[in-house]
Amino acid sequence: MKRYLRRVVLATALLTPCAARADGTNGALDALKQQMQQLQQKIQELETAKTSAPPTSVTVPAGAVTPEQLKEVDEKVDKVVEAQKKTLMSEFNPSIGLVGETVFSYRSRNSSETSSNRPGGFDIWQRSVELNVAASVDPFAKGYVVANASADAATGESTFGIEEAALQTTSLPWNLELKAGRFFGEFGKLEYIHDHELPMVNRPLAIDQYIGGESRTDGLQLNWLVPVEHYVSWTVGVGDSFGGDSPPSDPGGFRSIDELNYWSRLSTYFDLTPDWQAEMGVSGLFNPRTNDRGGIDAQTGPGGLPMTEHERRLGGLDFQVRYVPLRDNQFRSLTWGTELLYSDNRYLVDPDGTPGDGDEFSRSVGSFGMYSYLTWKLHRQWSTGFLFDYVQNAENEHDITYACSPYVTWALSHWNQLRLQYTYTDHNAVSGLKSDDAVYLQWAWIIGAHSHGWQQR
Amino acid sequence: MKLFRLLLMAGMIASAAQAKVCVVTTLTDLADFTREVGDDLVEVRSLATGIEDTHGVPMKPSFVPVMNRADLIVLVGFDCEHAFLPALLEASKNPRIQKGNVGYVDCAKGITPLDVPKSTDHSEGDVHPYGNPHYTLDPVLAKTAVAEICDALVAFAPEHEAEFKRNRDAYLAKLDAKIAEWKTEAAPIKGAAFVSYHEHWPYFAKRFGLKYFGTVELKPGIDPTARHIEELVSSMKAEHVPIVVGEPQFPEKVPRLIAEQAGVTLVKLPIMPGGVPGTDTYIEMMDYIIKTMVAAVKK
Ligand SMILES: [Zn+2]
Repeated sequence: MKRYLRRVVLATALLTPCAARADGTNGALDALKQQMQQLQQKIQELETAKTSAPPTSVTVPAGAVTPEQLKEVDEKVDKVVEAQKKTLMSEFNPSIGLVGETVFSYRSRNSSETSSNRPGGFDIWQRSVELNVAASVDPFAKGYVVANASADAATGESTFGIEEAALQTTSLPWNLELKAGRFFGEFGKLEYIHDHELPMVNRPLAIDQYIGGESRTDGLQLNWLVPVEHYVSWTVGVGDSFGGDSPPSDPGGFRSIDELNYWSRLSTYFDLTPDWQAEMGVSGLFNPRTNDRGGIDAQTGPGGLPMTEHERRLGGLDFQVRYVPLRDNQFRSLTWGTELLYSDNRYLVDPDGTPGDGDEFSRSVGSFGMYSYLTWKLHRQWSTGFLFDYVQNAENEHDITYACSPYVTWALSHWNQLRLQYTYTDHNAVSGLKSDDAVYLQWAWIIGAHSHGWQQR
Repeated sequence: MKLFRLLLMAGMIASAAQAKVCVVTTLTDLADFTREVGDDLVEVRSLATGIEDTHGVPMKPSFVPVMNRADLIVLVGFDCEHAFLPALLEASKNPRIQKGNVGYVDCAKGITPLDVPKSTDHSEGDVHPYGNPHYTLDPVLAKTAVAEICDALVAFAPEHEAEFKRNRDAYLAKLDAKIAEWKTEAAPIKGAAFVSYHEHWPYFAKRFGLKYFGTVELKPGIDPTARHIEELVSSMKAEHVPIVVGEPQFPEKVPRLIAEQAGVTLVKLPIMPGGVPGTDTYIEMMDYIIKTMVAAVKK
């Protein structure tokens, strides 16, 4: 008897300080309270049984609790306390996950011949050691941080950097959601996906060329779910930079409002059949005045003249068609994703390389890039796909690169995935680069919490 | 004047339609319970149609506007919907149904979970982190879910408390009668052992006195290895396990192979209403499950 009372007291003591802190677990606590009331009732029953039954009697009085029932109650209390502890632990701590990603590769050409930032030949690259932390800040917002340590190509040294650290509202009226801090801005489709979550090993070339890797920004983004029957989502944002490898304008100087980056995306979705889905979006990025973003570029346009970007404009169109059978989508599915990008940057050309001496003139370069991929999931653990890349240099549209990449992915589980990819890259004569073959083996794993994000769907 | 009256009537009809409590459920059994309790006072939509895996309902953007307008989201809980619900809730931009608010109806609240993993890492698989979430396959525990849904409806629309409670009691009485019937029907197969693809059946087995022998999956959500299947087949033979259950959500190849190798009966059972034809309601589904199991053991 004392044991039960002790347990009830223990459970109460365990839960009371937490209960004061959380509204979110009131439900769980109510349930526990109910269970406790039931237990108290059992205890009363037991006591009644004890007092009413004659001490010498060996027969169990009617309505009393048998040893089997006692055992059951005992087990039940243990389980409830155990389960509640577990739930409470996860309620009050942020969810923490760690992603590791290693890329083993062989490239047939030297990096100077391919313009890659990784060496030719054999290369083992610890691309990500990514720490994800997320939790509710209060009833009105959640916060999350993604810190990533990636090995430097030249020194092999790992440097920890913040990829994302943002606050996101959860209860704004009028279907609005505001995000502030460092995050991947919503432009296109694969731009705001972390490396290890991409359907292929490397980010498509067009995204690397026009965005500069993932769409990282320090900024503010507002998303609006348009209040109609049909799914329509509209996002607008402003940030001091846009793209992981794209530095902000005017570092250290005076940055005027037209030197910030502005972007927007409008997307919609259709159920073609219960099993077939179609999604499309249109995106735009505008930086009215860039001052020396990335410095004077030695890479030159036609005529070999040095030039500096002074206006950034990018438009994008993306669409995705998916076959996701309701019944067994964990075992088979098909995704076809395509994105078309058009860059129309303005550059200041300085023929003699001496700024401000009056011979500079403006030049607009329109360039086009695209990628299209098809991934076929043919088994719970296996999928295969093909990626086609085409991109014109944003500074010289006559400099063209294309690539073809078949790949096979083996996912042992949600958290352990191997991908083998072959990539043939070719460049035209203007680029001065050489075609090459590359083989990648990517191994990505996750420990701790992981979420199935909306954008990764 | 006539036109005015017509307009007024149309307006009244529209407002009556609007007055319905708009409920979204993740799975079809919860939708059935909500319809039983709410009757014509609620408008219910289930994200799953019945044929999906309970852990793998596709995350469709077309669900978002529906959830955006919902007054309540009714879910199984124990993280059963982990792969699709949290992201959909976030995308729905509906503060009413976010976790912690009254519109978030977690039916697992009154349930003591079975098979709670000993460790919190992924060595125990992914899809049952808080214990087994398939408690609605036990009709007695399903009653807890019904009561939970009723409480949520009353909390949201207290003006209809009497109707909701009356409907709940009627449905619970109906379930009680069916439970007695199912227990009688299942009595002859008490003690019979069976294997299934995914760990759907511990609550069901416990309720009807069956022996849940094992699963084709290595761990919940983890595909079997060749060695696991080999071991399963040999132990099934040794222990004379007569049934292998193939849930329609999973490929039939492996259960069929096991059935052939172990010389046992393969049966297909739904895991929620609509999973196989003729199981549109929870009661119809349980009828189907009991009848199929009894027939398979007697075979
Ligand atoms: Zn499960």
